[in-house]
Amino acid sequence: MTAAGRNVSAGRRIVGSAFAKRHQLRPSFGFYAKIILTVLLALWMIPEVYMVSVSLRPPDKSFDPSLFVLPITFDNFATVIHDNPLLRFFWNSLVITIGTVLVVLVAGSMFAYAASVLRLKKTMLIYIILLTTLMVPVASIVLPLAIMLKSFDWINSYQGLVLPYAALGIPYAIVIIKAFMDDSPRDLFEAAMIDGCTTLQMFFHVALPLVKPALIFVAIWQFIVTWNEFFLALVVMTDSEHKTVTLVPMQYSGMYMANPGALFAILVIIALPLILLYIFVQRYFIAGLLSGAVKG
Amino acid sequence: MEWSVYVQRSMNKAAAAESEKKLPRRRSLVERCPYLYVLPATLMFVGLVAYPILWVIGESFRGASGKDFVGFSQYVRAFSDPVFWRVLLNMFYWGAITIPVQMVLGGSIAYLIERHTSRSRTFFRVMFFLPVVTSVSVVSIVWAQMYAPYYGIVQEYLKYIGVQLTIAPLGEPSIAIFALILVNIWQWTGFSMIMYIAGINSIPSELFDAALIDGAHGWNLAIRIVVPLLSPVTRSLLLLGVIGTLQTFPIVHLMTGGGPDHASEIFGTYIFKQGFVIGDSGYSSALSVLALFLALALSVLQIAVLGSRLSPQTRRPAT
Repeated sequence: MTAAGRNVSAGRRIVGSAFAKRHQLRPSFGFYAKIILTVLLALWMIPEVYMVSVSLRPPDKSFDPSLFVLPITFDNFATVIHDNPLLRFFWNSLVITIGTVLVVLVAGSMFAYAASVLRLKKTMLIYIILLTTLMVPVASIVLPLAIMLKSFDWINSYQGLVLPYAALGIPYAIVIIKAFMDDSPRDLFEAAMIDGCTTLQMFFHVALPLVKPALIFVAIWQFIVTWNEFFLALVVMTDSEHKTVTLVPMQYSGMYMANPGALFAILVIIALPLILLYIFVQRYFIAGLLSGAVKG
Repeated sequence: MEWSVYVQRSMNKAAAAESEKKLPRRRSLVERCPYLYVLPATLMFVGLVAYPILWVIGESFRGASGKDFVGFSQYVRAFSDPVFWRVLLNMFYWGAITIPVQMVLGGSIAYLIERHTSRSRTFFRVMFFLPVVTSVSVVSIVWAQMYAPYYGIVQEYLKYIGVQLTIAPLGEPSIAIFALILVNIWQWTGFSMIMYIAGINSIPSELFDAALIDGAHGWNLAIRIVVPLLSPVTRSLLLLGVIGTLQTFPIVHLMTGGGPDHASEIFGTYIFKQGFVIGDSGYSSALSVLALFLALALSVLQIAVLGSRLSPQTRRPAT
């Protein structure tokens, strides 16, 4: 059964890369294409390069209007790490993000399973209603959420962010996971039923392994979105003890106004973990995409 | 009734009968009430999405203090508020510029990467996606510094191509919103790219073979074959783009705060100001409802007219 699942995803992957392998155009244009991409990428990376560049400048050079300034120094990093409890903010973000991802995965896959595999009555109706969440601008519900969280005394608490984030993230997770389950061979579920699996056993041993690429894709995307969310975090996390990483630059931009080197060192420290994480997991993210999380 | 459900029922009965005979195992709660699978997602929706929406609709009929009932007067106030029209105009600019530019740029990058690179493919895919994973607050401060007068690198490098900026992009009411739109395009083009990459890879290679045999090459192939085949991706990007436009907040809040003098005000910043800074929950709620209505109306319109989907893979009609 797992072997069948693997075959399915392997098959998809082959279809995915066949295009790339079989359709190398005449090398001449490919060469120009690489040049175009490289030039465009160099332009595209200017803000990122500039961020790193300013963070490596000594104070007297930090306002120089150029992309690169020599010599470089790591003093800014030493200063800001020494002076500020940055680890605290990372801890807050990490707890909130992992909490959100877990809630989204559990609730999303359970719902998708009920709608796609068990096909319980009325789940399609609930599904369509849930989907409207994706069209709700956060700005529209930020005020009632803030008032509600306040009345629960959840302002400045982890659950005060995890639950709203999860509620907003679950519908997209359901869309992705449900589509994978819809695509899974139905015989597997029927065989499992005939073998006397309970729905819970079927959920864990048949459904979830079949949609593993979708789960990984959802987890990565939800992680990125949650880690970088700003609006709700701004409203919910008001004391500096509980601030998440995205709120920190705002807090320091006033403090280090005259010393952009230090401010940008903080920006690099904040941006880097997620960039590194993405580089580390991008293979699974792309695999999820190509195996059908998004189909043309 | 699906026969599978019938089978499941009979299997459950059989399993239950058998377990009664051999090992008297109690059926867990979720087996007796399978709707428990639906419960967590539904509860979260009801409590944290539906209830706030209803609350905000109710509140929009109340005065600033949130007590006295004032009917539609908050809406009347919005329609006679020049800042509200400024918000609508800015949102229109935002969507009308970012969505097509991101599609064309992201689509072209995706096409060049998928068709013309091999060993460097992963490198390009990752690099163009980096702005998406860079925290928006970091992006905002870096760009604000780049746009800054005197020491900003934007004005410095524009000199080299003969453009002398006499004004600070973020300080000039007539161009502040466009300066912000550029930042948004920079940050989110990678997302369009990745969606198109998925789309390009899901095109059956037989189609390409057929097109190549029929003599389609280069531009012809790209425009006549690839673009139409990618239209599901394009349609979902349009839908996501419209929603994303109405979701915009951090870039504007952090870079201009909606200023100078409301010139770059958008729904997010204006609702935030009215609700959290001024504390006029009635007016803030009316603006929230208008934003919500706009988002739902535009989404439903696209789904009805274009058949857009939130994610292109839900291509099958829901059963």
